[in-house]
Amino acid sequence: MSVKERDPLTGHQTTGHEWNGITELNTPVPQVIWISIAVTTIVSFVMWILLPTWPLVSTYTKGILGVNQRAEVEAAVIEANQERSDWATQINDLPTDQILADPDLAMRVRNTGHQLFGDNCAACHGTDAGGGPGFPSLTDSAWLWGGDHDAIMETLRVGISSDHPDTRFAQMLAFGRDGILSRDEVRAVAAYVRSLSGASAPAAQLEEGEILFADNCSSCHAEDGTGDITQGAPNLTDDFWIYGGSSAALFQTIYGGRQGWMPAWETRLTETERKILAVYVQDLGLKAAEGGAE
Amino acid sequence: MIMKLTGAERQTALILCIAVTLVGLVMAAAGQGDLMGMQGWVVLAYGGALTLLLMPYIDAGEPAKEDREASYYDDPTKAGIIIAMFWAVIAMGMGVWVAAMLAWPELRFDGAWSSFGRLRPVHTSGVIFGFGGNALIATSFHVMQRTSRARMPSQLTPWFVLLGYNLFCIVAASGYVMGVTQSKEYAEPEWYADIWLVVVWVSYFALYLRTLARRKEPHIYVANWYYLAFILVVAMLHIVNNLAVPASWTGAKSYSAFSGVQDAMTQWWYGHNAVAFFLTSGFLGMLYYFLPKRAERPIYSYRLSILSFWGITFFYMWAGSHHLHYTALPHWVQTLGMTFSIMLLVPSWASAGNALMTLNGAWHKVRDDATLRFMMVAAVFYGLSTFEGSFMAIRPVNSLSHYTDWTIGHVHAGAMGWVALITFGSIYAVVPLLWQRKGMYSWKAVEWHFWLALSGTVIYVFAMWNSGVIQGLMWRTYTEAGTLRYAFLDSMTAMHPYYVARTIGGLLFLIGACIGLWNVLMTVRHAPAQATERDHPSLPETNEPALPAAE
Amino acid sequence: MLDKLLKPFKRAFDFQARTHYKTERHSMALTIGIIAVASVGGMVEIAPLFTIDDTVETAEDMRLYTPLEQAGRDIYIREGCYACHSQMIRTLRDEVERYGPYSLAAESQYDHPMLWGSKRTGPDLARLGGKYSDDWQTRHLIDPRAVVPESIMPSYAFLQTDVLETASLPDRLAALRVVGVPYTDEQIANASADAAAQTLPDSDGAGGVSERYGEATNIRAFDGNPGLVTEMDALVAYLQILGRLTDLPHQIEPEAEE
Ligand code: HEC
Ligand code: HEC
Ligand code: HEC
Ligand code: HEM
Ligand code: HEM
Ligand SMILES: [Ca+2]
Ligand SMILES: [Ca+2]
Ligand SMILES: [Cu+2]
Repeated sequence: MSVKERDPLTGHQTTGHEWNGITELNTPVPQVIWISIAVTTIVSFVMWILLPTWPLVSTYTKGILGVNQRAEVEAAVIEANQERSDWATQINDLPTDQILADPDLAMRVRNTGHQLFGDNCAACHGTDAGGGPGFPSLTDSAWLWGGDHDAIMETLRVGISSDHPDTRFAQMLAFGRDGILSRDEVRAVAAYVRSLSGASAPAAQLEEGEILFADNCSSCHAEDGTGDITQGAPNLTDDFWIYGGSSAALFQTIYGGRQGWMPAWETRLTETERKILAVYVQDLGLKAAEGGAE
Repeated sequence: MIMKLTGAERQTALILCIAVTLVGLVMAAAGQGDLMGMQGWVVLAYGGALTLLLMPYIDAGEPAKEDREASYYDDPTKAGIIIAMFWAVIAMGMGVWVAAMLAWPELRFDGAWSSFGRLRPVHTSGVIFGFGGNALIATSFHVMQRTSRARMPSQLTPWFVLLGYNLFCIVAASGYVMGVTQSKEYAEPEWYADIWLVVVWVSYFALYLRTLARRKEPHIYVANWYYLAFILVVAMLHIVNNLAVPASWTGAKSYSAFSGVQDAMTQWWYGHNAVAFFLTSGFLGMLYYFLPKRAERPIYSYRLSILSFWGITFFYMWAGSHHLHYTALPHWVQTLGMTFSIMLLVPSWASAGNALMTLNGAWHKVRDDATLRFMMVAAVFYGLSTFEGSFMAIRPVNSLSHYTDWTIGHVHAGAMGWVALITFGSIYAVVPLLWQRKGMYSWKAVEWHFWLALSGTVIYVFAMWNSGVIQGLMWRTYTEAGTLRYAFLDSMTAMHPYYVARTIGGLLFLIGACIGLWNVLMTVRHAPAQATERDHPSLPETNEPALPAAE
Repeated sequence: MLDKLLKPFKRAFDFQARTHYKTERHSMALTIGIIAVASVGGMVEIAPLFTIDDTVETAEDMRLYTPLEQAGRDIYIREGCYACHSQMIRTLRDEVERYGPYSLAAESQYDHPMLWGSKRTGPDLARLGGKYSDDWQTRHLIDPRAVVPESIMPSYAFLQTDVLETASLPDRLAALRVVGVPYTDEQIANASADAAAQTLPDSDGAGGVSERYGEATNIRAFDGNPGLVTEMDALVAYLQILGRLTDLPHQIEPEAEE
C-alpha cells in the first residue's frame, strides 16, 4: 500500500511502501553516522599515505613512513640483542658457580632458562628436567657425557647421534637381536647388571653374567660397570636408569640395543642461550641435590 | 506434505532421488578402497531413503484442486526449520564435546574418527552450514514470498534446494569424521561436495529471482537485498576458494589451485566473507523481516538501511587480510585489510542501530516477549562483535589476539550471541504462523531458552576473552632481562580453568537449544490451532510514490 | 566546519540513495550491483599477488616434498592438525625469539593448500623439522601424554599400525604438477616406490630417492619399524621437513647472535 504516513512516535514519515505489514520510516541518516564515516575515512586515508597500501601492477605504494614489517622485526631483534648484551657477555664469560653466586644473574638464568628449557627441552626431558622413559634426567648426578659445564655445552652444541657433523655418538649394541648373545645370556648379564646396583639374583646366573659382562660390555661400561663418559656409556652401578632398571627393561636394552637421539642446538639456539641452559640445568641439579639432602 | 505435490511433480522428484541414489552407487563402486567409496554409501543412503519415502505416493492420484496462487507454499520452510533445529542440537553437542576435549583430552573413544581435529569441523560446519544454512534457506523462503506477496513459482525447486543442501551438509560432516577434508577453514568439504553445492546454489538463486519477479510490490524489501547478497556473494566466494584439481576422479583427495600466499589470501578472502555474507548478511535479512514484524514497528530508517547494506557489501570484501596480519602476506594487503575493517564498523553499527531504534516504542514488548528479546539481544551482540572485530583488525591489537582464544571468544560472541539468537528468535516468531497455532506450545520454555542461551553465551565469551588475553600476554611477556618469561606449555596449562568454564557455558547453551527443539516439536503437534489473519498473496500495488526527500 | 566536512559524504550518499531507490525495483539491477560492488575488494587484493615481483621470494635451494613427505602432509590435512597448530611465524619479536626466523612466502610456494593455521592450541610447527627425534615424534603421536604429561593433544596411535597407501601417489603428484609444483615425469613415475624406499635406508631404492630429491633428504625408518611403511612414517617424515625446504629464512634475517 502506498500511503505516506507519519509515525506518531518519532514524527518521521514512512516511505510509503508496505511489505506484508512492514513499513519503513524515511528518517534521515543520523549525524553521528556521518561523523563516524568522516573519521574512519580520514583515518584510513592517513594510513594509506603513511603505510604501504595500494597495489600497482608490479609494485605497490610504499608509504611515506617507509615502514615494512620485516625491517621492523629485524630492528626489534637487533635492539633486543643489544639491550641484553651487557649481562649476556657476563653469562658468556663467567663460570657457572660465579653466575649462580650473583643473585641478579642467577635470577636471569632461572627465568630465561625456564622458557628456553620449556620450549625446547621439556618435550623430552620433562618440564622439571626429571627425564622420562628413554630420556635421561638432567637433575640427578648421573651423566652420560659428564656433568661439568663444558661437557654439557658440547652436548648441546652437537647433540647425540644427531645430524650435526661433530655429533656425539651413543651406540649401545643390540646384543640379542644381532646374535652376539643368546637370550639366556642376555638374561644372565641383565641379572648381573642389576646386581651392580644392589639387586639380588641366583648365584649361577651372576657368575655367568659377570663373565659375559667382562667379555662384552666392559670395553664401554668399564670393568666395574661405572661407565665411560668419553663414549657416553652410562654408569650401571648407580641406581639411575634412562630406560628403566627392571629385569624386563634391562633385557630390552641389552637384547635390542639403544641409540639415544638428542638434537643438536647449534643452529637453533645462540651460544648465550645454550650457556644459559647449561647453567640452568646445573642449577636444577644442585637444587635437586640440596632437596635430596634435606 | 508430499500429497501437495502434483503427480507429475512427484514423478520428477522420484527421478531426481533415483538419480542421486545412482550417483551414490557409482561413487561407492568407483571409489572402492578410497574414502570416496564411503562417501558414496552416504549419498546412496540419502537418495535411497528419499526414494523409499516417495514411492508409496507415486500412484496416489492428484491432490485436491486448489488455487495455488492464493496461498504461500510453506512446506519446505516447515521442514527446513525443523531440520535446522536438529542440526543445532547435533552441532552444538559437537561443540560441547570438542570444548570438553580441550579440558579433558582423554574424553574420546579411542577411534581415529573422534580426534579433536576431525570433530571440530563437524561442529563449525554443523553450526554454520547445518543450523545456520538451513535456517537461512527456510526463512528466506518465508520472507521472499511474504514480502513479494507472491507464491514461489515452483513447488519442486524449493525442495530440491533444501534437500540438496542437506545432502551437501551430510556428506561434509560424515566426511570429516572419516578424514575427508581440504583443511581449508569453513570450506573443508572435498571437490565433489563443492561441485554439488554449486548446483544447489544456482537453483536457489534462480528460485529467488523467479519469486521476486512475481512480486506485487514494485520495490524489493531490505530483507531480500540481504538474502540476495548472501546467495550471490557466497556463490562467488565458494567457487573461487574451492578451485582444486582432484588427484583422481574416483578418489576424494584434491589439491587446491592456489598455493602459499595466494592461497592464504584467497582462503581468508573467503573465510572472512563467509562471516560477512553467510553469518551476517543472511541473518540481517532475517532480522530485517522478523524484528519489525514482531515489534510491529516500522523500520527506523530506510536511508540507514541503504547506507549499511551497500557499505557492508563493499567494505567487507576488503577486510579478509586482517586474518593474516604480520604473516608472509605482503604488508600492503594488511594495511588494506586493517583500514577497510575500521571503515566497516560504521555500516555494521548502522545496521545494529537501525534494528535497535526500530524497537523504540516497543520496549515494553521486549520486556514481556522472550521472542522479541532474542532478537533485541542478537542485535546488541551483533554490534558488540562487529566492534570487537574492527578492533581486532588493527594490526597491533591483532598481534596479541591472533592465534589465541580471543578470536574464539569473538567468534562466539558473533556466532552464539548474534547468529544463533536471531535464528531462535525468528524461529519462535515464525513457527506458530506456519503451523497456524495460537503461539508456541510453552512460552515458559521460550523464556528458559532465552536465559540459558544468554548466560551460556556470556560465560563462554568471558571465559575466552580471559583465556585469550592471558594466552596472548603470556606468549609475549618478557623478563626484566629482556628474554621471554613463559614457555608455551605454561600458557597451555593456564588455559585449563577457562576451558572448563567454556564447556559449562556451552552446555547451558546446548540445553537451551534442546528445549527449543522440544518446544517446536510440541508446538507442531499439540499447540492449539488458530488461523492467521491475513497470510496470502494479494493484489498488486497501484500507485508508485517517488522517493520523498529526507526531512 | 563540520558540516562542510560532511557535505561531500552526504551528497554522495544522496546520489546513492536515489540510485538505489531505482535499483531496488529491478532484481537484476540489484544482482548486478551486488556483484559489481562485491568484486572490487577481492580483485584489488588478490590479483596483484600474482603480478607483484617481490610477493614470493626466490629461493634457489628450494626443494620439493618427497612422495612420502607429501603423503604425510595429506595425513596432516586429513587429521585436521591445522585446527590446533599454525605453520606461520609472524614478524613479531616474541615469535621470532620463540620459534625461529619468521616464515617467508617462498616456504609455502608449493603448499596446496597452505597450512598457515589460525589458532595455536598447540605450538607453531613452522620450524619443527629436526627439532626432535623421530622416536620422540612417534611416541608423542602415539600417546602425547606419555612424553608430555600436561599435553591436551589427541593421541594418534592408529598411525603406527595403519599401512600407508602409496598406490595413488603418482596421481597425487601429477595433480600437484597441474597446479604448479614442478615434479618431473621421473619423480611421478617412481612416486610409490620412492615413498617406501625413503623408510628403508639400506634398500636399493634409497639411492633413487636421494638422486631425485637431493642428498639432504632424510632416509630413515621414521617410525622405528623398518619392516612396514606406515602412516606414521609418512607423517613423521613430513614433520621432520617442516621449515627445511629452503635455508632462505636463516640467510635473510639478522643473526640472532649479539
Ligand atoms: C628429542 C628429544 C630431546 C630434546 C628435545 C632434548 N634432548 Fe637432551 N637428550 C635427549 C636424549 C635421548 C639424551 C640421551 C642421549 C643418550 O642416551 O645418549 C639427551 C641427553 C642430554 C644431555 C646429556 C646428559 C648426560 O647425561 O650427559 C643433556 C645435558 C641434555 N640432553 C640437555 C638438553 C637440553 C638443555 C635440551 C634443550 C635445549 C635438550 N636436552 C633437548 C633427548 C632430547
Ligand atoms: C659400544 C659401546 C657399548 C658396549 C659394548 C655396551 N654398551 Fe651398554 N651402553 C652404551 C651406551 C653408549 C649407552 C647409552 C645409550 C643411550 O643412552 O642411548 C649404553 C646403555 C646401556 C644401558 C642402559 C642404561 C640406562 O640408564 O638405562 C645398559 C643397561 C647397558 N648399556 C648395559 C650394557 C651391557 C650389559 C653390555 C654388554 C652386554 C653393554 N651395555 C655393552 C655403550 C655400550
Ligand atoms: C587438541 C589440539 C591438538 C591437535 C588436534 C593436534 N595437536 Fe599437536 N599439540 C597440541 C598441544 C596442546 C601441544 C603441546 C603439548 C605437547 O607437546 O604435546 C602439541 C604439540 C605438538 C608437537 C610438538 C611441538 C613442539 O614444538 O613441541 C607436534 C610435533 C605436534 N603437536 C604435532 C601434531 C600433529 C602432526 C597433529 C595432527 C595429526 C596434531 N599435533 C594435532 C595440540 C594438538
Ligand atoms: C553449544 C555451544 C557451543 C560450544 C560449546 C562451542 C564450542 C566450540 C569450540 C570448543 C570450538 C573450538 C575452539 C578452539 O579451537 O579452540 C569452536 C569453534 C567454532 N565455533 Fe563453536 N561452540 C558453540 C556454538 C557455536 C555456534 C552457535 C556457532 C555458529 C553459529 C559456532 C561457531 C564456531 C566457529 C565458526 C568456530 C571456529 C572458530 C575459529 O576457528 O576461529 N559455535 N566452538
Ligand atoms: C565489522 C565486523 C567484523 C570484523 C571487522 C571482524 C574482524 C575479525 C578479526 C580481526 C578476526 C581475527 C582474525 C585472526 O586474528 O585470526 C575475526 C575472526 C573471526 N570472526 Fe570476525 N569480525 C567481524 C564480525 C564478525 C561477526 C559478526 C561474526 C559472526 C559470527 C564473526 C565471525 C568471525 C569468525 C568465525 C572468526 C574466526 C576466523 C578463523 O577461523 O580464524 N566476525 N574477525
Ligand atoms: Ca571445499
Ligand atoms: Ca580458525
Ligand atoms: Cu574476518
